[in-house]
Amino acid sequence: MTAQTTAEATASAKSPILDVTDLGVNFWVSDEWWMAAEGLTYTVNAGEVLAIVGESGSGKSQSSMSLLGLLPSNGRATGSAKLGDTELIGLPQERMQHIRGNDISVIFQEPMTALNPVYTAGFQIVETLRVHMNMGPKEAKERALELMRLVEIPDPEERFHSFPHQLSGGQRQRIMIAQALACQPKLLIADEPTTALDVTVQAEILKLMRELKSKLDAGIILITHDMGVVADMADRIIVMRAGKVVESGTADEIFYNPQHPYTKQLLEAVPHLGTEIEGEAFGADLGDVEVALHDLEEAEADESAGDDLAAGSLADDDAEATPASTGEADHPQIEMDSTETYYHPGSQADFSKPSALQLRDVAIEYPALGRKKAFRAAHHINLSIAPGEVVGLVGESGSGKTTIGRAALGLLPTVEGDMLVGGKSIKGLSNKQLRPLRKEVGIVFQDPGSSLNPRLPVGESIGEPLYLHEGMKGPALNKKVEELLHAVELPTTMRNRYPHELSGGQRQRIGIARALSLRPKLLIADEPTSALDVSVQAKVLDLFESLQALYGFACLFISHDLAVVERIASRIAVMRHGYLVEIGQSSQVVANPVHPYTQRLLSAVPVPDPKEQRKRREARDAVLEATMDA
Amino acid sequence: MIKFILRRLLSTVLVLLVVTFVLYLLLNVALDFFWDLRSSTSPNIEALYESRIRLLDLETPAIVRYFKWLAGASGCLVGQCDLGIAWKSGQEVTYLLQGAIVNTIKLITASTIVAIILGIAVGMVSAIRQYSGFDYFITFVSFLLYSLPVFWVAVLLKQYGAIEINNFINDPTLTSWWPIIIACIAMGLFWMGALGGGKKRRIITFLAATLVTFGTIYYILASGWLQQPTIGVVGVVLIGVGAAIVMTFLSTGLKNKRVLYASLTIAVIGALLYMPLQYLFYYQEMNWLWMLGLFIVTIGVAIGVGLAFRGPDPWDTARTTVFTAVIIAVTIFADRVLQGWSEYSSSPAINNRPIATIGASAPNVNGDFWITNLDTFTHLLLPSIALVLISFASYTRYTRGSMLEVMGQDYIRTARAKGLNERTVIMRHALRNALLPLASIIPVDIITMIGGAVITETIFGWNGMGKLFIDSMRQSELDPIMAYILITGILAIIANLVADFLYAVLDPRIRVNA
Amino acid sequence: MSIDNKNQDTETGLDPVGENAIETKETEGLSQGKIVFRKFIRHKGAMAGLIVLILVTIFAYTAQGIGPIPGWWIFNHTASGPVVNPGGAPTWTLSNFFSPGEHPFGQDEIGRDNFARVMKGTQISIMVMVIIGVVALIIGTIVGALAGYYRGWVDSVLMRITDGFIILPVIVVGAILGKLVSGTGGAMLGLVLGAILWTGLARLVRGDFLSLREREFVDSARVAGASDFRIMFKHMLPNAMGVIIVNTTLLMSQAIVLEASLSFLGFGIAPPDISLGQLISEYQTSFATRPWLFWWPGFFIIIIALCVNFIGDGLRDAFDPRMKTIPSWRKMKKAERMAKKGDK
Repeated sequence: MTAQTTAEATASAKSPILDVTDLGVNFWVSDEWWMAAEGLTYTVNAGEVLAIVGESGSGKSQSSMSLLGLLPSNGRATGSAKLGDTELIGLPQERMQHIRGNDISVIFQEPMTALNPVYTAGFQIVETLRVHMNMGPKEAKERALELMRLVEIPDPEERFHSFPHQLSGGQRQRIMIAQALACQPKLLIADEPTTALDVTVQAEILKLMRELKSKLDAGIILITHDMGVVADMADRIIVMRAGKVVESGTADEIFYNPQHPYTKQLLEAVPHLGTEIEGEAFGADLGDVEVALHDLEEAEADESAGDDLAAGSLADDDAEATPASTGEADHPQIEMDSTETYYHPGSQADFSKPSALQLRDVAIEYPALGRKKAFRAAHHINLSIAPGEVVGLVGESGSGKTTIGRAALGLLPTVEGDMLVGGKSIKGLSNKQLRPLRKEVGIVFQDPGSSLNPRLPVGESIGEPLYLHEGMKGPALNKKVEELLHAVELPTTMRNRYPHELSGGQRQRIGIARALSLRPKLLIADEPTSALDVSVQAKVLDLFESLQALYGFACLFISHDLAVVERIASRIAVMRHGYLVEIGQSSQVVANPVHPYTQRLLSAVPVPDPKEQRKRREARDAVLEATMDA
Repeated sequence: MIKFILRRLLSTVLVLLVVTFVLYLLLNVALDFFWDLRSSTSPNIEALYESRIRLLDLETPAIVRYFKWLAGASGCLVGQCDLGIAWKSGQEVTYLLQGAIVNTIKLITASTIVAIILGIAVGMVSAIRQYSGFDYFITFVSFLLYSLPVFWVAVLLKQYGAIEINNFINDPTLTSWWPIIIACIAMGLFWMGALGGGKKRRIITFLAATLVTFGTIYYILASGWLQQPTIGVVGVVLIGVGAAIVMTFLSTGLKNKRVLYASLTIAVIGALLYMPLQYLFYYQEMNWLWMLGLFIVTIGVAIGVGLAFRGPDPWDTARTTVFTAVIIAVTIFADRVLQGWSEYSSSPAINNRPIATIGASAPNVNGDFWITNLDTFTHLLLPSIALVLISFASYTRYTRGSMLEVMGQDYIRTARAKGLNERTVIMRHALRNALLPLASIIPVDIITMIGGAVITETIFGWNGMGKLFIDSMRQSELDPIMAYILITGILAIIANLVADFLYAVLDPRIRVNA
Repeated sequence: MSIDNKNQDTETGLDPVGENAIETKETEGLSQGKIVFRKFIRHKGAMAGLIVLILVTIFAYTAQGIGPIPGWWIFNHTASGPVVNPGGAPTWTLSNFFSPGEHPFGQDEIGRDNFARVMKGTQISIMVMVIIGVVALIIGTIVGALAGYYRGWVDSVLMRITDGFIILPVIVVGAILGKLVSGTGGAMLGLVLGAILWTGLARLVRGDFLSLREREFVDSARVAGASDFRIMFKHMLPNAMGVIIVNTTLLMSQAIVLEASLSFLGFGIAPPDISLGQLISEYQTSFATRPWLFWWPGFFIIIIALCVNFIGDGLRDAFDPRMKTIPSWRKMKKAERMAKKGDK
């Protein structure tokens, strides 16, 4: 705490870089000015991270874009924002162009779309350099390579000539960061810099940004909705809601002593990894990690006796760490690339017991289409879900978790092994043969905006399965639909509305009502809350839990968010590159992960608590370091 | 990539075969091979029918005849073309095709290039000035062009673009100044809308454009330029300097003095070479090979000058100088062609009515390289305008849509956030991406052009493929029709291949993946 | 019920800000169809086009009557009469503000009334256009939907068929088919031209179905137990309506010009039937002497095609969800002045 206050003191002693007073943003829509943000007043100091937190539509992004004059053509900024002596609001284009990328630069959310697809990564960095600095192409290339090394891109010489689509998501974001840092800006605006990334990649980028923050003396405005990221990075925090600042203060003040009810509500809504288990989640401190690392190291050593340098250097670290560890060394030692499933005690799939869903050594393929070859997205999956049980399926994008959900619905073919729903095999069934079985399984999709037919009133969407399977019509159907709406806590008048008129949370409730309309024995929930704001997510999860208790369906809950899964599921299965790598009780997996990938995943999750996160950070960095090449 | 192209080639060739087969059978039903005999009162009518049946081999079933035709046509692959005969005139189809293909390609190439350049430029500006008066005007004009029947425009063009202008050239008296004043103000408004900007800048643009247009028209009328059109060394210098400035502005911005000076150097070289070139043209009989050679030399000189100016980006400079040099070269070429104007215009075959309404070349004009070219150009003028009008609209609309889409993309915001100026954002980041999808409409448009050529060629008496097709349809000559279908199909396939190739070159995502 | 209210408060009760909220505000309480309708009637060009097109259609059909029912115009398109003005020039004058005279559009060399002929031609041209539109709509939608939904070999076969149509200019195939059915009247011509103009629509519908197919609501319907037929026509088709309606409209503007061109070349409507293109063809040589015979039919072709184009443009904007009403630069300036006044 004392270190924190001194850091605060030194930070505030520095001259402020950006001074914002009474900043407002308005949009001209349908002959009216709409307020997107108003009354923002804050300063950003050198070497300090100011986080602007808020849910979608809170105006956090627009207000920051107005600093650079990058509002859409119907936007307008008022008030004052001073960068040193320069007033940014109302600055003419010509002069603004000198400031953009030079004094203030931006890291955007989606690196895939934020980089121009037809130019190489190197060119885009060089371009920024050459606009603002009097530099020749050779010199600029040298500097760009230097920047690429700074943001830790492997093989910068080669990547320099890569096009954005040839890079991974993390690498693209690194290029974006390199580009933003090119001219050593005084102020860096990071607009949801990690939202589009997988959690382990997010961890890497956060680590990088922390390192850079200490190296460069720039002020950073971090715009995000993720409290975990805020806890990891921020020195000071502004909480925004509906265009207004509701609270501001240092990170500790906001997290440990929130004043405004909205801030409190927001903090409560955030799922917190490790709250559902006794003891702490994996990666809470360095101790855990060192044990794990030791295991990993040994595994590698077993495999090939010290063949690479990275392992060698790790061994040194471990030599000191091992004696201190409490030693849960009874785990089998697993390599990062191992595709074997590790079953925690009691989770071995037992196919003799009755189950809602069974996967017996299943492989799933996306069928060949035209010239595209068939793609196998899941291999050798053994999984059994007991009636009434909720199993969480976790993995990063491309891990094949959604594939399994779709195959369980018969939307993708099972090509090997056998898939049983409610005891009946669905392998190789045609759409028609599957129809009677459809009653047994419901699904809630990720994007509630896309999973409801935009041309049908939601009541009709909810009633469709009833109409198709039970031939229910007229008043009987209406009554049933009303019951379902009531069950998901929506007013019955919503029946006649269209999906686009509802909020995200309401749409997802409709999705759940539809999935439950036939009282299925199994529900596949495919990232049901990942498109929702935190506070809405919390409510939907509450609803989900109470419905699960009421109806008693079994559920395969697919998510990338470990904290959410931990809260909902009794068992967790972890997937990587199409293989199931670990499965066990939630507490087992969260507290004592065995597979290095699970460890990496767990340590990467930021928790919305600065102090805890500070401890976790070290652990995280160590794990990242060790599993970098994996 | 090659595998992909081969696969596509194979499938389209198969499709073409099926199309020719189906159309062959349909044509056998649709065409009346005895139309000229129906009203005949000849006593030996029976015998005439008999001989026609024998001539066209009508007793053989159509399917068999198709394969006979196909066998003859596939002879083209080994250099022994047999595409049948046009029975009415008795000429071999291969003979008929020779001139026709060249003429059609001439017409279509000229129009396509003009339409693409104009369409992209106007569409781009229209997108940048979205919802401005200019944008609405262009939208209206392109809808109007979509709605214009090309044959109707062609008749109007003949009347007002050729007959009246020829009259005016012969008797240049103005009945009223109003049309000219209106035209000047329209030009003023056009440029004001296109360049946009603040109130003051708009007024300046408007006045400047109006006055420049008026000055130009006044000069043209007062100096009798229409009777004796020339460019001359003054014109070459003016155009050269203008091109240098505009090209520099578009490629790197006028702030880059090095590029500006390099392009201006090219303009000066162009002006200095003007006289020596005239001597060369005078003493040496020219042909297209010479022209190609000179063109290559021009490009070489331009690259040389560009590189000689060194600087950090020699190739940016070279690119600008090359564009400038090409414009100057074309100007000098046009100047030399125009020098033959009076000789051409006063030749008896032309009789002082230089703008042609019929045919691809005037009969009995025997001149050197320059006169023949002038003759071709005067004949190309009207049919090309008619064709350009058809496809200009679609390029404009397409570019506009594509540009608007791209301008809303995240990477444009990134480019702005980097501190690039608007010119760089648009020319470097937006345009390149906006042009990608255009590669896929070019072949479609070329096929439309070939279709449009059917009408324009018929109306302007341009001896191309389209006219051949229509004439043969009217005369029920099956073989030339089939040849037309075959060749148009092959052109379409080639256009598609070129588009695929272009796409692959322009879009790194495809280049790498395929 | 109290729970319900609470939910509403926390989920939508936030003051709407930003762009999402703006959309929500604009579309509150409306079905998709109503939104499209509202956007459409706000599109000035489209509304003008629609009104003019309706007027022209009514005018043409009432003037010359339909089938045996006589119209209000005294002359019909075949009867010749005495030539009133020298050369048959139009008789309308501006005396007494405006008086149409006996032959407002003039007469041809044998004294037939040009107005009657143009109206009759307009009738036929509009009819052919509508038939082409309907035929192309039906074939294009079905082929596109099947290809996009089933993909695989169905798609390959159907797309190769459209390739076959696309490889040649429409006018060439149209001329051959037109020749085949020449003399059988406008309806037949419309049918065969419709049968070759559907390919563009089919490709677009296919594209739309391909992307709709990946939308979750389609999976959602399948999981609910819907059959392929139901998924295609109940769930996907309504969502592809935008593409279908817009492109059918644009296709119709293409169709009327195509019919005119074919008739002009002599492979479309042939005498004694008349259409606008056929009229121009018949009178093209008299342009120098009787320009009115040439101007009026051309003018009506352009009016009809232009109206249809504007309607198509309006529909496109109305159906495009990305289409947001971004105010023009001038409007923004005005709005900013307003805001400044408000501040003071």
